[in-house]
Amino acid sequence: MNPLPIIIDCDPGIDDAIALLSAFVSPELNILGICTVCGNQPLENTTRNALQITELGQRTDIPVYAGCHQPLLRAPIHGLFHGENGLGNSHFPLPEKQAETQHAVNFIIERCEEAVRLDQPLTLCVLGPMTNLATALRIQPQIAAGIASVVMMGGACREAGNRTMTSEFNMLADPHAAHIVFSSDLTITMLPLDATHQVILTPEHVARFVNVSGRISQPLGELMAFWDRNDPIRYGSRGGPLHDPLVIACLLAPALFSTQKARVYVEHESELCMGQTVADWYAKTALTPNVNIVTGVDSEKIFALFYELLSRYAEVRP
Amino acid sequence: MSPQRLIIDTDPGVDDAIALWLALASPELELLGVTVVAGNVPLQATLQNACKIVGLSGRTDVPVFAGAPGPLVREQVYGKYAHIGAFSDALVPAGALQPQEEHAVDFLVRTLRQAAEDNDPVTLCVIGPMTNIALALGMHPDVVRGIRQIVTMSCAFTALGHRVPWAEFNVYADPHAAEKVFTSGVPLIIMPLDMTFQALICPPDIDYLRQQGGAPGTAIADLLAAFDRTDITRFGRDGGPVHDATTVAWLLQPDLFSGVAASVGVEVCGKTAGYTYADFYRKLDVESNATVMQTVNERGFFALLKQRISRYGDPVA
Repeated sequence: MNPLPIIIDCDPGIDDAIALLSAFVSPELNILGICTVCGNQPLENTTRNALQITELGQRTDIPVYAGCHQPLLRAPIHGLFHGENGLGNSHFPLPEKQAETQHAVNFIIERCEEAVRLDQPLTLCVLGPMTNLATALRIQPQIAAGIASVVMMGGACREAGNRTMTSEFNMLADPHAAHIVFSSDLTITMLPLDATHQVILTPEHVARFVNVSGRISQPLGELMAFWDRNDPIRYGSRGGPLHDPLVIACLLAPALFSTQKARVYVEHESELCMGQTVADWYAKTALTPNVNIVTGVDSEKIFALFYELLSRYAEVRP
Repeated sequence: MSPQRLIIDTDPGVDDAIALWLALASPELELLGVTVVAGNVPLQATLQNACKIVGLSGRTDVPVFAGAPGPLVREQVYGKYAHIGAFSDALVPAGALQPQEEHAVDFLVRTLRQAAEDNDPVTLCVIGPMTNIALALGMHPDVVRGIRQIVTMSCAFTALGHRVPWAEFNVYADPHAAEKVFTSGVPLIIMPLDMTFQALICPPDIDYLRQQGGAPGTAIADLLAAFDRTDITRFGRDGGPVHDATTVAWLLQPDLFSGVAASVGVEVCGKTAGYTYADFYRKLDVESNATVMQTVNERGFFALLKQRISRYGDPVA
């Protein structure tokens, strides 16, 4: 089978880094490019971090494109759990490679237009605030025809928020961008906190990842150890939710995820609940359901998948 | 003095057409490009109109770029005269001018980043919904440094609105884009309805343009006849406003206008989305971001317009 053509739009970010490292060793995925955005960290840091992770994963063949330096309208906010540089306490060498000169938004537009011409629509994996995709859609709406689906991590439907009472970080960081994407006609698969809080990366898991992951084991272990929220009251155990990597798992093993389809609305007007994602579970509104919301996950099998994926870094490369 | 470098962002539109023809006849302005946005009518029609307007001026050296087909966040609204769509060939004859391949937002980002690098910032004349400008500002931090000033026909402060009671159309059509522009830090010169309602074009001036203004002059007269802008009950006298043209007139002859510095803001949501305020009496503890024009010398303005448009009728020029 032909590998699935994807673009990964992200703001690394520790969990973004784990997602990237997992995608790098998946021959089922053809990663056309990595786009970065202002999110967990300012744009220059997320771009540098993305380049560092491509070097760590020895996938510098994948181009990195810097995207929007700020949310569409709101002042930038940044993540609280990613350390000073966005990759915990890890210190990676300054990247040798630079980001491409093309803007991430132009890259998305160009590849989607090509996908329309070739009739080979792409999958967009959005792991951060949705600014790049929303901007691309507003500049060139026809690109929607080149997008098979958007698989995104963000939002909280029945679960409470993780940055405010109601709102998940990626949605709160750019609620207008999220509104633009969720009110488009795109096919969307959403991994909200309801799903990601079912997959907690505990210290026991981390020990096993360190054991299996060969040449990236030390930096991977550091990233994962930093991710421990140490908040058993909130998460039921030590550890942190494996947010962004679930997007990659969802592409590779959709059978491990169960979904419910509903229309999703993003609050972008009222400050109290800004960024809240409201799912119309019971068809109370007139609009057709447009989002496959992941509600259930097979956590055990997902960890087995990631052990297997990341153990590929232990294989001797030819 | 070297001409002022200018980009006009527009949604033609009758008064946009007058603004464009005024700029295209004025050597003090170096028009780098015309970027087009959906607004008064859908993008396809504003684009076609812009190409016809620039083509009819004979200035086929000026590139026209298609921009955003709709607003950033709100649902799309068109102007009061949306039903007219593209200008008919009877009103504005079709020419050969074609739009560029490059997207308006890409042109803006490319030109303004270069202007920032060259330390030679460009004036933007924004006479439609501000979607293109907002998107360009969001693409790169250098864009803002490439903009010298934004002269915009938008807002209503002491005047009531004209598309809805609480808002001026360009802001109403994309309040989020206006918010992005107003908070960008770029110096703003705002031509609000309060002022544009003071300059009403009347039959003698229209007749003069038809007789002396060559093909563009005839087109202006035909457009104003086809889309009657007079409103005696509102304006108390004969004549119709030519809102957008005041932006270009200010660039050419600023002493025709008087204004005050004020902090300007916009309501982006709720029932009154698009409502704009100016803090004329300094009730807010914030610095002003705009010069808000309050009066115009009506006779001086139309004298300038007639003088410039009549150049199209001068076979020597």
